Amino acid sequence: MFHPKQQKPSSMNSHHERPMCVQGDSGLVLTTDPKPRLRWTVELHERFVDAVTQLGGPDKATPKTIMRVMGVKGLTLYHLKSHLQKFRLGKQPHKDFNDHSMKDGERASSLELQRNNASSSGILGRSMNEMQMEVNRRLHEQLEVQRHLQLRIEAQGKYMQTILEKACQTLAGENMASGSYNKAMGPDISGMKDFGPAAMNFPSLQDLNIYGATDHLELHHQNMDRSSIDPFMHTNNDSMMLSKKRPNPYSNNSGKSPLIWADDLRLQELGTPAAAPCLDDHHQIQIAPLSIDRGSDIDSVSDIYETKPILSGDHHDSMGDKKFDASAKLERPSPRRMADRITNHAAISAGGITQGRSSPFG
Amino acid sequence: MAMVMDLDHFPNFSYATASTDDGCNWNYWSPVVDWEELSAGQEDFHHLIDSMVVQDVVLNQSPSPSIYQDYNNSSPDYNNSSPEYNMMTDDETNGSDDCKGLRLIHLLMAAAEALTGPNKSRELARVILVRLKELVSPNDGTNMERLAAYFTDALQGLLDGTACGGKNVPGGGCGHQYKEEHHQTEVLAAFQLLQDMSPYVKFGHFTANQAILEAVTHDRRVHIVDYDIMEGIQWASLMQALVSRKDGPPTPHLRITALSRGGSGRRSFGTIQETGRRLTAFAASIGQPFSFHQCRLDSDETFRPSSLKLVRGEALIFNCMLHLPHFSYRAPESIASFLSGSKTLNPRLITLVEEEMRSPSDEGFVGRFMDSLHHYSAVYDSLEAGFPMQGRARALVERVFLGPRIAGSLARIYRACGEEEWCSWGQWLSAVGFRPVNTSFANHCQAKLLLGLYNDGYRVEELSSNKLVLGWKSRRLLSASIWTSKDSDL
Repeated sequence: MFHPKQQKPSSMNSHHERPMCVQGDSGLVLTTDPKPRLRWTVELHERFVDAVTQLGGPDKATPKTIMRVMGVKGLTLYHLKSHLQKFRLGKQPHKDFNDHSMKDGERASSLELQRNNASSSGILGRSMNEMQMEVNRRLHEQLEVQRHLQLRIEAQGKYMQTILEKACQTLAGENMASGSYNKAMGPDISGMKDFGPAAMNFPSLQDLNIYGATDHLELHHQNMDRSSIDPFMHTNNDSMMLSKKRPNPYSNNSGKSPLIWADDLRLQELGTPAAAPCLDDHHQIQIAPLSIDRGSDIDSVSDIYETKPILSGDHHDSMGDKKFDASAKLERPSPRRMADRITNHAAISAGGITQGRSSPFG
Repeated sequence: MAMVMDLDHFPNFSYATASTDDGCNWNYWSPVVDWEELSAGQEDFHHLIDSMVVQDVVLNQSPSPSIYQDYNNSSPDYNNSSPEYNMMTDDETNGSDDCKGLRLIHLLMAAAEALTGPNKSRELARVILVRLKELVSPNDGTNMERLAAYFTDALQGLLDGTACGGKNVPGGGCGHQYKEEHHQTEVLAAFQLLQDMSPYVKFGHFTANQAILEAVTHDRRVHIVDYDIMEGIQWASLMQALVSRKDGPPTPHLRITALSRGGSGRRSFGTIQETGRRLTAFAASIGQPFSFHQCRLDSDETFRPSSLKLVRGEALIFNCMLHLPHFSYRAPESIASFLSGSKTLNPRLITLVEEEMRSPSDEGFVGRFMDSLHHYSAVYDSLEAGFPMQGRARALVERVFLGPRIAGSLARIYRACGEEEWCSWGQWLSAVGFRPVNTSFANHCQAKLLLGLYNDGYRVEELSSNKLVLGWKSRRLLSASIWTSKDSDL
């Protein structure tokens, strides 16, 4: 009776290993062979449910009318008959499935909305399951989107790094060639000309150690010809020194302070000996140009790029996956918070979605 | 002099959520300005403007010697202000700032009116601008003050006729020229800051990229024609996404053709060739099959579809980023040639990102001027809300990018004044016969997540099935829309 290996070459997928079950997004195995196997995907099932409720509920709908309403090519009466039957019966398995995967808050909210919208108690149980499945699906999709977003932002950050590295090399080249920083500046930067000479500020580079930067920084500044150092670095050192004394930058911003990705990434890399020597160049270029005007605002400017070592600790703890380490650091707030946001989004959109889907049940 | 200011046409300067703060200094910028009330005192406005012209006039019985001289000191005595401002003093805490902000708006509006209104007077405009310049500076002060400084400069440019040289200059070069004056490092720093402090750039790029990804799921070759590739960062994340696709065919070959303007010399982000090299190197580093091409626009920046090299079987995408904050204004004719040219090639997808301005019916220059003021005020506020303490950083972004954009925006409005009806490029695409493509749930979700990483004040709306709009509080700022040509089957 049951031939798991036999598959018809149809456009619909079959999933013969699975036992028969009535979950919305897995295969539906028909026990009698000659019929083609149909995979009830979530989308398909959604349309099915839509059609059923349009027709007045699983008790009123017939396979024929459902087929007409759904208008899906290739869907036969046989498929629908069987699916409808399961749909009518199908409360228990759904509930078990969903108990494991739904958060209480979301289930409660979808339940609540369901109570408001369902017209008959017979529909109540089944439509609740549909909604829970929908919420589930959305939640998973959101998590996927979040993961992709992190990777994409990280990619942009890496790309920015290449731009800045190139610029730093170009600048270093200009500096070397000219031998005087005045020429490298370009005539139009106002306020740059009053930067003092480099030498006295260099020892303060050691302050950068608090950010995890180690030997190669000092190595770097020993190698560079001091007189040709990009003028940005002068104020940079000022700002770095000053910024060390600043309180936590979070206290400056609103609670939801935006992310400072690329530089976090760079600062993490500074701790690794493998990092290119030029890294600290654009790290400094990164920070220093912000402090174009001197004065007390230098502190505030460099805060944007200030990283507390404690943050990296947080990130390491919260995301064990190495692949995500870089992207985890990219976030401000912490990944935990991102997860909270996702949950909130999911809860809200769960409510939204259940509301949206209330009309078929109304 | 009879200065008739028709206040009935002007919108309420009201932002919806004046009370939610989270560190956003919303109160400095008066939440509600009721123009109807102000219009009642038109005589007072005449008086006001007269007083602006004459120095050191004391308008009221306030003990402070001159209301103008006290501006920069933000004297607390200013709350006893002239009668027409009494309604504003209900804002207890930041009354003086509000008043100053309001006064600046009045002055700007008066200047705009003087430039183009029914009672045009260049002399009056000149005088008002002089007064404005005394009051504001692009580096200090509140958001409104800095914003007013840039608008003042822009108006001055219009007055002098130096703004973009008039109607027939292709490329709308003024914004472009501005940027050229900045040292490359400044531009890069400002760009990095812009991306870190605000979601505008990422929103535009990611929304377009997500739509592209969804449109090419089964393709082996993808060809993107990019109108203004700038520094190329948009493609970094697209490549990353293509490379890490789990299902479907292996990573498709990506070809990017960047349109270049002839003879524009060294641009702030480097030449097109450099961008190409960078992208090629990046693609190699992540294992993305890639090739880069350049296609020259004509001298008047017209796009010729025949100059593209196409490969059979490739999915053709036209990418049109127009109004990201670090972009300069391009001539409408050029953009039109690009979009209409694309139609002849039946692209799979057209991605369009443009600023979202209120579509003015017949508001004239002053109306659009005020709308532009409103627009950039929201942008400034959005930056400040996230980074209230980092004034210098914001001032840098404003100087390098936003200021030139303001100048470009005003020049564009000025040139278009009195011409045919204004419409957005999205409306234009629709009229020309492109079909909208729905933005997916994933795309919308991505946008919301992205904004959630920044300040709460950012909103994303789905204005139509194919358009996501990023806004700050109640002001819509940037829209990303997806289109396809009618004959291609998506």
